[in-house]
Amino acid sequence: MSYNTRREFLRNLGISAAALPFVTNLPCLAAPGATARKRRLIIMFSPDGVVPNTFWPDEEGTSFTLKESLKPLEPFKNRTLILHGVCDKVRGDGDNHMRGIGCLLTGIELFPGNIQGGSDTPAGWASGISIDQEIKNFLQKDPATRTRFGSLEFGVLVPERADTWTRMCYAGPNKPVAPIDNPYQMFQKLYGRVKDQENLKSVLDELHEDLKKIRLHVGVQDRQILDEHATLVREMEQELRAAEARKAGHRVPVLEPGVREDNDNMPQISKMQIDLLVHSFAADFARVATLQYTNSVGQARMRWLGIQEGQHDLSHEPDSNADAQDKLTRINRWYCEQLAYLARRLAETREPDGQGSLLDNTLIVWTNELGQGNTHTLDNIPFVLVGNGLGFRMGRSLKYPRVAHNRLLISLAHGFGHYIKRFGNPDYCGDGPLSNLT
Amino acid sequence: MRVPAIAVLMLLVPVVLWAPGGTCSEAARAQSRRSRELTGEQIYRAQCASCHGVKGEGTRHYPKPLTGNQTVEQLARFIHTSMPPGPRKCPAPDAKKVASYIYHAFYSPIAQARVRPARIELSRLTVRQYRNTVMDLIGSFRGSMPSTDQRGLRARYYQTKSNARPVLERIDPVIHFDFGTTGAIPEQNDPYQFTIHWEGSLIAPETGEYEFILRTEHAAQLWINNRRRPLIDALVKSGNDNEYRGTIFLVGGRAYPLRLEFSKGVQGVDDLSKVKQKPPTRASLSLQWRRPKMPAEVVPHHYLMPVSGPELFAPATPFPPDDRSIGYERGTSVSREWNEATTEAAYETASYVASRLSELAGAPENAPDRKERVLAFCRRFVERAFRRPLTPELEEVYVQRHFRNTSDLETATKRVVILTLKSPRFLFREIGGGQPDAFAVAERLSFGLWDSLPDEPLLEAARTGQLSTREQVLRQAQRMAADPRAWAKLRDFLLQWLKVDQYPDLAKNPKQFPEFNDSVAVDLRNALELFLEQVVWRGSSSFRDLLLTDKVPLNGRLAKIYGVSLAPESDFQTVALDPGERAGVLTHPYLMASFAYFDSSSPIHRGVLISRSMLGRVLQPPPVAVAPVPADLHPKLTTRQRVALQTKPAACMSCHDMINSLGFTLEKFDAIGRFRTTEKNLPIDDSGAYKSRSGTTVAFSGARSLAQFLAESDESHTAFVEKLFHYLIKQPIRAYGPTTLQNLIRSFQKHGLNIRQQMIETVVEAAFEGRAGPSPALARSKEAGGTS
Repeated sequence: MSYNTRREFLRNLGISAAALPFVTNLPCLAAPGATARKRRLIIMFSPDGVVPNTFWPDEEGTSFTLKESLKPLEPFKNRTLILHGVCDKVRGDGDNHMRGIGCLLTGIELFPGNIQGGSDTPAGWASGISIDQEIKNFLQKDPATRTRFGSLEFGVLVPERADTWTRMCYAGPNKPVAPIDNPYQMFQKLYGRVKDQENLKSVLDELHEDLKKIRLHVGVQDRQILDEHATLVREMEQELRAAEARKAGHRVPVLEPGVREDNDNMPQISKMQIDLLVHSFAADFARVATLQYTNSVGQARMRWLGIQEGQHDLSHEPDSNADAQDKLTRINRWYCEQLAYLARRLAETREPDGQGSLLDNTLIVWTNELGQGNTHTLDNIPFVLVGNGLGFRMGRSLKYPRVAHNRLLISLAHGFGHYIKRFGNPDYCGDGPLSNLT
Repeated sequence: MRVPAIAVLMLLVPVVLWAPGGTCSEAARAQSRRSRELTGEQIYRAQCASCHGVKGEGTRHYPKPLTGNQTVEQLARFIHTSMPPGPRKCPAPDAKKVASYIYHAFYSPIAQARVRPARIELSRLTVRQYRNTVMDLIGSFRGSMPSTDQRGLRARYYQTKSNARPVLERIDPVIHFDFGTTGAIPEQNDPYQFTIHWEGSLIAPETGEYEFILRTEHAAQLWINNRRRPLIDALVKSGNDNEYRGTIFLVGGRAYPLRLEFSKGVQGVDDLSKVKQKPPTRASLSLQWRRPKMPAEVVPHHYLMPVSGPELFAPATPFPPDDRSIGYERGTSVSREWNEATTEAAYETASYVASRLSELAGAPENAPDRKERVLAFCRRFVERAFRRPLTPELEEVYVQRHFRNTSDLETATKRVVILTLKSPRFLFREIGGGQPDAFAVAERLSFGLWDSLPDEPLLEAARTGQLSTREQVLRQAQRMAADPRAWAKLRDFLLQWLKVDQYPDLAKNPKQFPEFNDSVAVDLRNALELFLEQVVWRGSSSFRDLLLTDKVPLNGRLAKIYGVSLAPESDFQTVALDPGERAGVLTHPYLMASFAYFDSSSPIHRGVLISRSMLGRVLQPPPVAVAPVPADLHPKLTTRQRVALQTKPAACMSCHDMINSLGFTLEKFDAIGRFRTTEKNLPIDDSGAYKSRSGTTVAFSGARSLAQFLAESDESHTAFVEKLFHYLIKQPIRAYGPTTLQNLIRSFQKHGLNIRQQMIETVVEAAFEGRAGPSPALARSKEAGGTS
């Protein structure tokens, strides 16, 4: 459940109203108001599990070594938090790939339905809202944190079909949110208006020129309506210029034209989407974003790494197949490189108010629908966090004793000052937010 | 401290009155005394008219007409300080009088409208014209729709979802099935999984947002006017959801490609063979829609077609409504909102074109001559948008320049589209004046009949000089009048003429009319639309039949309510309704129910409809606002008696004498349009009368005798001909010469009151009329330049 007011939250903590003035002095309880720093969240998804022994650090604590899969994070090691032992305990209808993605951000069962997976019973959509949308709604409610879009759902090569395997975000029960995996479409959503206006501006001279010519062909009595029209066009031009002056400073990114949605273009598309995401955060279009690589059971063929097989096929190979495990490690390392590029772009981009970088106020959560591909386990779901957005203590490797991932979802909400007590299936929320994060 | 204004006045007035008179010179006082006796008109005629003309029309000395937007006060100040030319200016009191006179006589916009002789005014596209034009402009780069009179959707039944060959193909009238727990048809022998696909088109009767509602317990997907992205994607069945909705904006009078796929059984991995226990499962499927402003209903048979054409571009940008203050929509004014809407619509169109450039321009992305093809496309786009050949100068401004400014073809195309759709050459009709040339004639035909731009055969006729004689124009008009767009326009006219274009509220008192509800209201609307289509479009198209026939399409549900015997599940079919009592469209149950209250008929509303729409009478609004007398105040009075009582005062009777006497003739049709002979156990009195413009009085006994009169009366013919002209042409008929109306009435009567023929005659009559243009010198230079 969520609390409507701070007061309600405190009441639930068992603190009386009389204690309020004291409580509000505690930094961790201070409501994020207009003066508070911006907080942002990016959830990045890649499919088919990881190779545990090339992924998880052996050590716990602040001193640890990044293994092969996570090597690209080396420059951000002290801003990275690796959570081992967080498990997706949600069961019910659907196979593990379906529940893996459908319950990942919702923490709640799938509805029974007609989509049959490789095993188990058929299922439909998730029966609850996902945490990104929950946080977005929370931010959009408050004028101080409201943004143009609230959240943006990016994808990279997500198949053109809406089913349980291709949807991670939910606006509510049975309300999957489709990611936009075409950078040009996302560009249109973010900057379409600006581009339209630029195009209009570029033809205004011709329009004025022709209006003058046309005027000569019009009878005296008909001139009035044409002159009114010309006046409207002039006013429109002035408004365009005024709007441009107001926007001065915010740059519209330039996309490389003509990149098709093609397996082999995945690296380019990934870069374009990340660049757009960073731009959209810099412009404060949204404070929440998701970035979904392919889909649950994703079959990317990373030929640019010299890997010809599809990722999902490889992920079924046993641990004894060293070649396959090596390839899977390289595949996950490639996703990690995308994560590192995203972190780097955020770190390089100054906050518009000049106070630090975007990465200082953004938390990236990289995750996956499975712990490991060949076992289809939902235990030890990869959760790799980068950035200082939510006040977690970074630069650590943590190992939890098989805790439900719902608690991490709750922690994310709390990081925004959204003090929900439960999220998703309440059975997995028992002890509230994860301990030892902040 | 603030002194109340009245007190200040009282203090000042004596001072002014008693002020000594020595401040003015004798001469000025004399002049003032003289002019005090002259009116503003006299002063104007004496001192101003020699330059400005008697009616402010201008003269050789000063050709600019005296019209504008200044107030009387501003005018007076201007006259006083600058008129006449020379050192001596008009004294302030005279200036004030002159200002007031010219303002009301000819200067102000209102005075202009009053004194100005009717003329063909420069007009922009109306909203309806804009949408159709943009749609057809883009459609002209695609194929056309095969025509058919068949209705329903083409269905293909498959045994399982993987079967390549259907076990049955047929045409299904509507999508509303309960398959039970077996296959949909005997050939589908696996009750756990089967698939059905439907394909065809959906006809949108009017413009607006359509909501589609798909109900099923299984997987289904619906595509409308977009073959790539489903409008409703219900492939995933999840939880208890079995109702899915999707909304789409459609332009009326068009058929949009539709595809529906249904699949029973699990989707995804097929492991049905492994499942041991298979309890029987039900399957049903229903496709409903909510037309703009209407309740939901199963998409009716007559709006589905088993063939389909290309996708259409339906610009969804909202526009401010057109000026309808004089009875028909016209484009003689522009506004900020309208300008913004044209900008938004230009963006919308540009995005659409750019995203489908390869298809529209026939220029695949890898074509070596892609740029040339895109350029050729843009040239044709501009030319078709302007409805006339493109001169080299215009091609340079509108096309070439933008391809030099950027190397990105999509961006250049977007700019061409935006500039073109913002250009007055596109937005306005026939910018130049004078005698219409062949392209202007073509445009008059297509806008008159379709509210859209000329099609290729018409442009070809214009190019080859085949639009110079009346016969040639008539031939084209006849060809074009067979196009569904002509019917779409005529249908909109009829609905507006009958005052039901705004969807009257048909809520009725459930205690009194328990059988009447929302779905009956929708059925009735369909019944009226089908009736109009059957009589005016498919049938005789006779004005007489429209007013007199007792044959109406009804379905099973309506037949039961209106007392016709028909199987309860029957789709619409033509039946005789109350023979000898019904009189065509006027007594159609939908119209009768619309012109009625919650629980009683409304002779006043019906009388107003007959007076205004049928007889073309002008009615002033009631001098005082009057609430209808509630029926329960006079429980014993019939509706007729109550209305007579309420409108008894002399102030009412100046109009209500006519209104009531006409409306009473329809009293045998109650609030839901059902035939009755008594009300409150009293026999219905449906006698009435009409005093014609010539002064003779005609007496009626009931609806049919009224309809007989209307079918034959010169007055109703005149009203119909004039209203049809205005709706089609959107210019005042008087601007087409003093004999045009008479000619058209004669031609209406000569052709047996044929409405479709009248539509053709009207646009042909209006095709050649010349209009005021720029001065002759300019007109000559225009011809030389070849533009306009």
